[in-house]
Amino acid sequence: MASPEKTVRALIVDDESPMRDQLRARLHDVWPELVIAAEASNGIEAVSMADLHKPDIIFLDIRMPGQSGIEAARHLYNRCHIVFVTAYDQYAVDAFEQGAMDYLLKPVTADRLQMTCTRLRAQLESAPADIGEQLQQLTQLLQRGEAKKPEYLRWIQAQVGNSLRMISTREILFFQSDEKYTVVQTAQAEMLIRKTLKELADELDPDEFWRIHRSTLVRVDAIAEVTRDERGRQMLKVKGFPTALEVSRNHANLFQQM
Amino acid sequence: MSASQFNKGMDFLRDAVAEATVLWWSFFDWLALVESRQLLITYFLVFAFGVIVNLPEAAVWFIIISYGVKVLAGGKRKAELVAKDATAQADVATLERRLAEARMATLQAQVEPHFLFNTLALIGQLIETDPPQAAKIHMHLIEYLRATLPQMRAAAGGTTLGRQVQLSRAYLAIMQARMKERLAINFDVPDYLEHAPFPPMMLLILIENSIKHGLEPKIEGGQIDVSATLIGGTMHVNVRDNGVGFNMKSDEGVGLANVRERLRILYGDKAELVIEAPEGGGALCSIRVPFSMMEKH
Repeated sequence: MASPEKTVRALIVDDESPMRDQLRARLHDVWPELVIAAEASNGIEAVSMADLHKPDIIFLDIRMPGQSGIEAARHLYNRCHIVFVTAYDQYAVDAFEQGAMDYLLKPVTADRLQMTCTRLRAQLESAPADIGEQLQQLTQLLQRGEAKKPEYLRWIQAQVGNSLRMISTREILFFQSDEKYTVVQTAQAEMLIRKTLKELADELDPDEFWRIHRSTLVRVDAIAEVTRDERGRQMLKVKGFPTALEVSRNHANLFQQM
Repeated sequence: MSASQFNKGMDFLRDAVAEATVLWWSFFDWLALVESRQLLITYFLVFAFGVIVNLPEAAVWFIIISYGVKVLAGGKRKAELVAKDATAQADVATLERRLAEARMATLQAQVEPHFLFNTLALIGQLIETDPPQAAKIHMHLIEYLRATLPQMRAAAGGTTLGRQVQLSRAYLAIMQARMKERLAINFDVPDYLEHAPFPPMMLLILIENSIKHGLEPKIEGGQIDVSATLIGGTMHVNVRDNGVGFNMKSDEGVGLANVRERLRILYGDKAELVIEAPEGGGALCSIRVPFSMMEKH
């Protein structure tokens, strides 16, 4: 039990203000002596508020703009006791169960909060648990759930009239270099960009686009068939595009098996 | 002068050769595919004709040569034609499969559990502090679920832009109750476009994208503008936000790819999804479909 003279201070962090109000009201019911030193609405603000107010406990929402609750916790876990709050996060909740970290599910019920507060009161005497490694694992877990290959270019920008068109790589059939420009061909339009084929080949996913010629980069999913013409050259047909593209001898081995 | 005449002559010759080639190949295809009984009758007629015009020898040669061609090359040509037909059928099958897949993806992509649980948590909070507001959000949630839950949607049938806008307003009202002053909303859809047919879920997918990738990640939040205009015979339905803008290295996502695929299946080349990076930052997504006045009942 905390000594009666010492006031216990807490920080509530959630990007949605109604949820902060709710937690504050619930906490007041189950732990009236607890002082809510401050509230924050994102991860970055949470860290600076913690520097300023030095709370004993932080209630941290997980999904927030700027910096997630998990990232914020990595800065804060050795300074104060952390309780995560979430409405739904299957990865996180599994990890909390395994790592014995405390967490609350929204909407927070009085009974569940009572349990957490009792546990917190007992823990306040000792230093916060070392959860650094678990947080690290959790960060990786959450990132894996979101994006698989963040390292490659997925959008191409092209000036069309006065506007800057964004073309998803999924829309593109092929790139072909012209004298000064590179032509981007989609099923519906042809656009010019300044990026060179060399730059594109370096930045795009090599599994998504193949180089079939010094001046041609084709999207693998758009390939319809490869045939030989009367002069023995390999010609590549692209879905939804009438003209065949030449495969140069240097790249002919791409289609050897076909 | 003589050069242009020569060119004209060449053009004529080229056309004639091209025409002859086409005729020869259609004769060849006919020969390859024709059944022997029909061929026999044809030969009899050719022979009879040959006798009438007093050229029976030519008719016999025709019969012998064409039969030779049928025996020697007909089999291969026939196989080719059958293969071509099979490919065409396979294309139709592929298109049908992709339509089914696109529909499935739409069904699965909707109603994110995170959205549902957060909204329910909000309603729980509002019941204690602001019951009238709780009732309002509750109604919006019902409207949203009615449109997005697969079981509910199956019976919906054709839908109009007005209906889709109404659904989007319900969704945004929920998001605004949660994000409060971090979200500003503006609708600009003229009355006369409300009855125009518009495919289901597409507008909502664009709006959800704007919230999820543009405005939610932005600390200070921002504004979302939904508008519709008629340009020529094409209806433009635009969703614009001033959020964090594009991450050049993150995939466009299932939602947008699905919208594009469904537009292609529904309208072919007559519709498109245009994505732009506006000057002031953020993102602009525009669905452009052929405009038709009224839904037929």
